[in-house]
Amino acid sequence: MRALRFAILIMTGVTLALAAGVEAQESLKVGVLTIRSGPATPVGDDILAGIQTATKMYGPVLGRSVELVVEDSLWNPQQAVTKATKLVQQNRVVAILGTSTIESLALLPVADRLGVPIVTSNSGSAAITRDRCSKWVFRTNPDELMSAAALQSLITGNPRLQNAKWFTIGHDYPWSRLVAGSVKGVKNLKYAGETFAPLDTSDWAPFIAQARTAGATAVVMPVTLGTPLLQFIQQAREFGLTNDAVLVAPIGLPDWLVDKLGDTSTRVMSAGSWAAWRYEDQEPATKQFNEVFYQLNGRVAGMQSLQAGAAALMLYNAITKAGSTDPEAVVKALEAVEVRTPVGPLKFQAGGRQAEAPLFLGPYESVAPPRYAARFAQRVEAFPASKSLTVTAKESGCNLK
Amino acid sequence: MDVNFLFVSALNGVVYGAFLLLTSLGLSLVFGLGRVVNFAHGALYALGGYALADVMRRAGLDYWPALVAAPLVVVPLAIVMERLTIFPVRNRPEIYTLLVTFGVSFMIIGGIEYAWGTGTVLIATPRPFTGTVSLAGNQFPLYRLFAATLSLVVSAGVFAFVQLTPVGLRIRAITDDRDMAESLGIDTKWILTLVFGGAAGLAAFAGALGAPIFAVQPEMGTGILLDSFLAVILGGLGNLPGSALGAFIVAMTKSIGGGYIADWSVAFLFLVVGVVLVLRPTGVLGRGRVA
Repeated sequence: MRALRFAILIMTGVTLALAAGVEAQESLKVGVLTIRSGPATPVGDDILAGIQTATKMYGPVLGRSVELVVEDSLWNPQQAVTKATKLVQQNRVVAILGTSTIESLALLPVADRLGVPIVTSNSGSAAITRDRCSKWVFRTNPDELMSAAALQSLITGNPRLQNAKWFTIGHDYPWSRLVAGSVKGVKNLKYAGETFAPLDTSDWAPFIAQARTAGATAVVMPVTLGTPLLQFIQQAREFGLTNDAVLVAPIGLPDWLVDKLGDTSTRVMSAGSWAAWRYEDQEPATKQFNEVFYQLNGRVAGMQSLQAGAAALMLYNAITKAGSTDPEAVVKALEAVEVRTPVGPLKFQAGGRQAEAPLFLGPYESVAPPRYAARFAQRVEAFPASKSLTVTAKESGCNLK
Repeated sequence: MDVNFLFVSALNGVVYGAFLLLTSLGLSLVFGLGRVVNFAHGALYALGGYALADVMRRAGLDYWPALVAAPLVVVPLAIVMERLTIFPVRNRPEIYTLLVTFGVSFMIIGGIEYAWGTGTVLIATPRPFTGTVSLAGNQFPLYRLFAATLSLVVSAGVFAFVQLTPVGLRIRAITDDRDMAESLGIDTKWILTLVFGGAAGLAAFAGALGAPIFAVQPEMGTGILLDSFLAVILGGLGNLPGSALGAFIVAMTKSIGGGYIADWSVAFLFLVVGVVLVLRPTGVLGRGRVA
């Protein structure tokens, strides 16, 4: 009897020791909530590829391999909440990456319940880190108000643009009007008009005709990134608008779109890309990211990949700094961490959740010889956050409790 | 009022109207004959665009032979689709074919995404129609003018077929009185299947013809499907001349509306449709069916 009790005691001890060992080797799960189906899938593809690249680059976190748990948000707010809840409660992820504006806005009201850091790299809505900021939600990409500041700086810094006759052609939603307002806000600018097309527009002929009739020599195009923007630029060229006017993309062009446009992309100027792979000429972290990305994907890293990679690196560095995956500790670490990322040195604004991220201005041009299989790319001029993020977190409306 | 701008807007409307004519005729024929509300029509339009892109890539063909080949690829698929999905429910209330074709459209788009991915395919403007032509001082893409002309020619061919051929006579007979046509020995089942295939061919041809202008992507048929339905309803369900007129009414309203009141252009279009239907419930030419 005594021997049996002793044996049970020994076996219990061995079992506990083994369990502790297994837990130490268990992977560190990070949730990726992004678009995996429907017309916006290319955006999700780029985001996921960027996170995978950063994960490979960083290696183990706290001695544990990182396991990405991917869920499809279906680009739908209700699905985003459902999938985020699943990631946290069933998959036990320590954080969530990969969200865009729709998902980020949907998760804000439930962020406290989720109780894990959410680091977004593809959300433009200023409210996310301003008046609707949450302790749990961080953003690495510039917000729409920072982009507006960059657009105004591009115009005032370029005599050709300052003296041009401006026209806005965009989709009929709030961001387009914000962009139009930014252009109109430039002093002494000649503003010829604006037109906002329904969201399902595929034939841009009537709207292009308005710009031509107005005699526009510069057209800013707040058109949804993706197929609509591709259609618009192609049709603008078809009608000869690109011969008479420079096209300005408010937040730049995704590189897959640049590749499809080919030579036509050289008629476009970026008024503030969130990232640019050619920043590698100035930033070693960008070069390292580009090389690993190309090895994994056989193509150049687009701005959404670079941004997503930056967000992932911020998170992994924060977990390392925190020394644990405790959500509160990781949030504290994110507030303090400074990292060299593919978009340059990044840190979050003091008392806030917005990264002091640069924007990248400049025209698109050919790349000869091609690099990372890219034949066309944006020439890069970094516009620092100190010029675009000119208010404190509190002044922006963010009051973290 | 800027006359120049009005001219360009009207010209855009005529060009888009010619495209819409192709898809509207097909929808109208299928409804007139078989009382089938074909929600898969837009997906067949998209399939035409992808068939063009695929034939150009795999067979290494230029645009022009591929434009002929694309509808020939889609028609047999559409006939199989009709036999398997629509034929079994044809004699039931119209809601059944509406629901079936709605589901089929999702299946086609899903199939497109599975086979070709979700990305957009650009088709270069084919020679010799690259470049623009000057019309009253306005630069207009040459290809759009050509595509509109070709659409009108093909549509005229459809009208001629329906009006002047023995098969066309049978089609008109079935449209007027299906039971009487059957009692006179006309094989309505196969005529309906062939017309469905023909309508799919028209949609696919329109998709391939529009590919250099609108690009090829899985959702490309959604917008034109809605416009085609509006055109068919405006013209009178099952009325071919009415559908033709409806196509140009929709196109001109969208183009001129888009030019002058862009943010309200869609609302304006539905307002126009609503007013016409209140005043002429059977369609603008007054000869279509009400229900």
